[in-house]
Amino acid sequence: MEEYKPPALPSPFNNTTPPPTLLTQGAEAHLYKTTSLNPSIPAALKIRPSKPYRHPILDRRLTRARITQEARCLAKLVREGVSVPALLALDWEGHGGEEGGWGGAWLMMEWIEGDVVRVALEKWEAWMKKASLDDEQTQAQEARVRALMRKMGAAIGALHKAGVVHGDLTTSNLMLRPVDENDTNEVGLDGDVVLIDFGLASQSAQDEDRAVDLYVLERAIASTHPRSEGLAEDLIIGYRDSYKGAPSALKRLEDVRLRGRKRSMLG
Amino acid sequence: MASSLETIDLPHLPSLPVHVAVYQNVQNAAFLKSQLLAGQPEYEYAFIDASMVLSRAHVIAAVFRALNDYAHNRLKSHNVHSEIVFSLNPTNNIAESFRRFGISDSTQDLLVIKVSTSSEITHDTVAAHLSSAVEGTSVSFDDQTLFEFSDINKIKKSYKLGALPSPTKATDQVASKENVETKQRLENALLGAIALRGS
Amino acid sequence: MIAIGMEGSANKLGIGIMLHPKDGSPPQVLANIRHTYVSPPGEGFLPKDTARHHRSWVVKLVKQALKEARVSVADVDCICFTKGPGMGAPLQSVVVAARMLSLLWGKELVGVNHCVGHIEMGRLITGATNPVVLYVSGGNTQVIAYSSQRYRIFGETLDMAVGNCLDRFARTLHISNDPAPGYNIEQLAKQGKQLVDLPYVVKGMDCSFSGILAAIDGLAKEWGLGGEEKAKEDDAKSSETAAASESLEAKPTRADLCFSLQETVFSMLVEITERAMAHVGSKQVLIVGGVGSNERLQEMMGIMARDRGGSVYATDERFCIDNGIMIAQAGMLAYGTGFRTPLSESTCTQRFRTDEVFVKWRD
Repeated sequence: MEEYKPPALPSPFNNTTPPPTLLTQGAEAHLYKTTSLNPSIPAALKIRPSKPYRHPILDRRLTRARITQEARCLAKLVREGVSVPALLALDWEGHGGEEGGWGGAWLMMEWIEGDVVRVALEKWEAWMKKASLDDEQTQAQEARVRALMRKMGAAIGALHKAGVVHGDLTTSNLMLRPVDENDTNEVGLDGDVVLIDFGLASQSAQDEDRAVDLYVLERAIASTHPRSEGLAEDLIIGYRDSYKGAPSALKRLEDVRLRGRKRSMLG
Repeated sequence: MASSLETIDLPHLPSLPVHVAVYQNVQNAAFLKSQLLAGQPEYEYAFIDASMVLSRAHVIAAVFRALNDYAHNRLKSHNVHSEIVFSLNPTNNIAESFRRFGISDSTQDLLVIKVSTSSEITHDTVAAHLSSAVEGTSVSFDDQTLFEFSDINKIKKSYKLGALPSPTKATDQVASKENVETKQRLENALLGAIALRGS
Repeated sequence: MIAIGMEGSANKLGIGIMLHPKDGSPPQVLANIRHTYVSPPGEGFLPKDTARHHRSWVVKLVKQALKEARVSVADVDCICFTKGPGMGAPLQSVVVAARMLSLLWGKELVGVNHCVGHIEMGRLITGATNPVVLYVSGGNTQVIAYSSQRYRIFGETLDMAVGNCLDRFARTLHISNDPAPGYNIEQLAKQGKQLVDLPYVVKGMDCSFSGILAAIDGLAKEWGLGGEEKAKEDDAKSSETAAASESLEAKPTRADLCFSLQETVFSMLVEITERAMAHVGSKQVLIVGGVGSNERLQEMMGIMARDRGGSVYATDERFCIDNGIMIAQAGMLAYGTGFRTPLSESTCTQRFRTDEVFVKWRD
């Protein structure tokens, strides 16, 4: 089978030196690391390539709607002071690289240093496996994870308070931006929680949407971090006190937990 | 008059060098504006009232937006220089963008931008023309200078960002972590507005 | 090993006979016959009428299949039937027939999940080893991938099935149900040029079609394109309408609406399939179910798969559309692992999720 080749970069990034480096390729978007508009500061570049299988009119309509939706959510969250990467530049009508013409859309964001929470927790779990700790030390370690969970809950609360739901919350879409002073040799669980990847985000203040956000994250923690699952109740504690609407969203979360993500489903 | 015209190769758009100068205590703003309005080719610049810009990143974001639209034949206004002024505006109203961000008769501190859209426009030709055309003190295009010139309340009002906290210019607090963060948040909000215009 | 497969979960009654040679060589289709209950234009098929159709044809079809396959009753090892999901009354007619044959001939029964039947038949015919499966029919819309002994549903419709959406719009336009409403929409869509704006509803890996149907039904009404009268004009002036629709802002034609509906719903299906492929890291995609025989859907899926460095596997109407051999094929795979359905449990069910089946025959 042929090697997968990502589509050519849209202009002007086909002229960028050094060329942007591909980090991840999802179904809809490719994420690159490149320089921001300041050559000494890096940036994240998200590209939504044109989808040749779609009718060109539909393709433009969808690509534009989605990239601007993501950009609007980011800009709104920046204004509200929620911890997300800043929107630096945007083109919803990107021009193709060499061939010219329509080439999808792109969005440039602030580069966030650090690990995603998934990686931070994996490192911690691996470290815990090797370290021989007494009960007291184990509890102290777990307290660090609980503190992280609370910070995550608070960050999601701030997001929801701003009227945005993420749509795809996992431990891969939460980052830990390291604090400047790193004086411990423990696995880093400190730092600011930054929410990333708003590709499926939308503006909503509905309890249902907020509850589904939390439920999806709870499930993600349970499936990818079995050791941390019991500590995830602190996620809810962190969330509960973060804004006025939190208790009502949490009440809905209880229903969602019972019935699953979807409202109703027939065979 | 010693010129401190800075020439910038923007990342991603290296084929369009950008020349930027900042002047304080400008004496002939009305003249410059009239030349611009008369369409005098040698006065084709982006003349921006420096009180309406917060920082280098704020200016560069507008320049990048205008240059990217220029490079892809999507200008909404007359030329790339008027487009830079327009790109500072959060809405699609071109006349409004000139009233808000462009040079006025009363402009004291002036930001001047020229793009090398042809090989005849070089750092030296721009520097030579500006030193004879602008009556004012050339200062450096840096964050500190721009912040001093900025009118935070007017900027916030133009971008409908009244709810955001304002960074202070008080010397004892200006470098505090909190003030730096406040200014960064305002700057990020401005960049977002510039990126999203017309979306 | 020889199995009879009996399928009747919707308006097709299918009887198939399948041979799995003892030497391990590829399975062979010995007979694959089908009889479809076709309702008049503008109407869907009702459960009781469909069940009556299946009851009156099932014996005839079984006899014909045995004759075509040149096998005698003694050669048959088991009788496989569709347990669900599907429409209650038609399912019941077929399960009663299967039970009767089981008692009459003294053969064991194997109840089969209809969706798993489609998947296994698709894998057999195309040779796709571990594809992401898009299962699209009048009753189902699912994106499925195999993982640890289950066909897991990654995405599905949140309301109606895509085939149901197409069929119901065919009714609005009074398009013939012969041979199938979706087939006739596909033919009409080939003359469409103008894309009208329709809702596009994808949520993660799920999608929804009811809003699209309401919107396009509304457009058909607004432009006076529905109903029996307009349907008669299709044949008469297909070339004329195609020419008219090329001018900009022109009033959409019936063909334009069919074209726009297909372009929109198929884009949604390809999008959720691509998302599932990215999620599980697969480069193969297999399309099964009646809607899977649509060539435009296959073409779009092919472009997507090619851009991902993969390929699409699809089958023609003999295997895509409901049939008996797919039930025989999946049933025999289960039978080979020792699975049996005792007479007392040989019921059928309208709701039977794909992921409920324990897939013992795969690693």
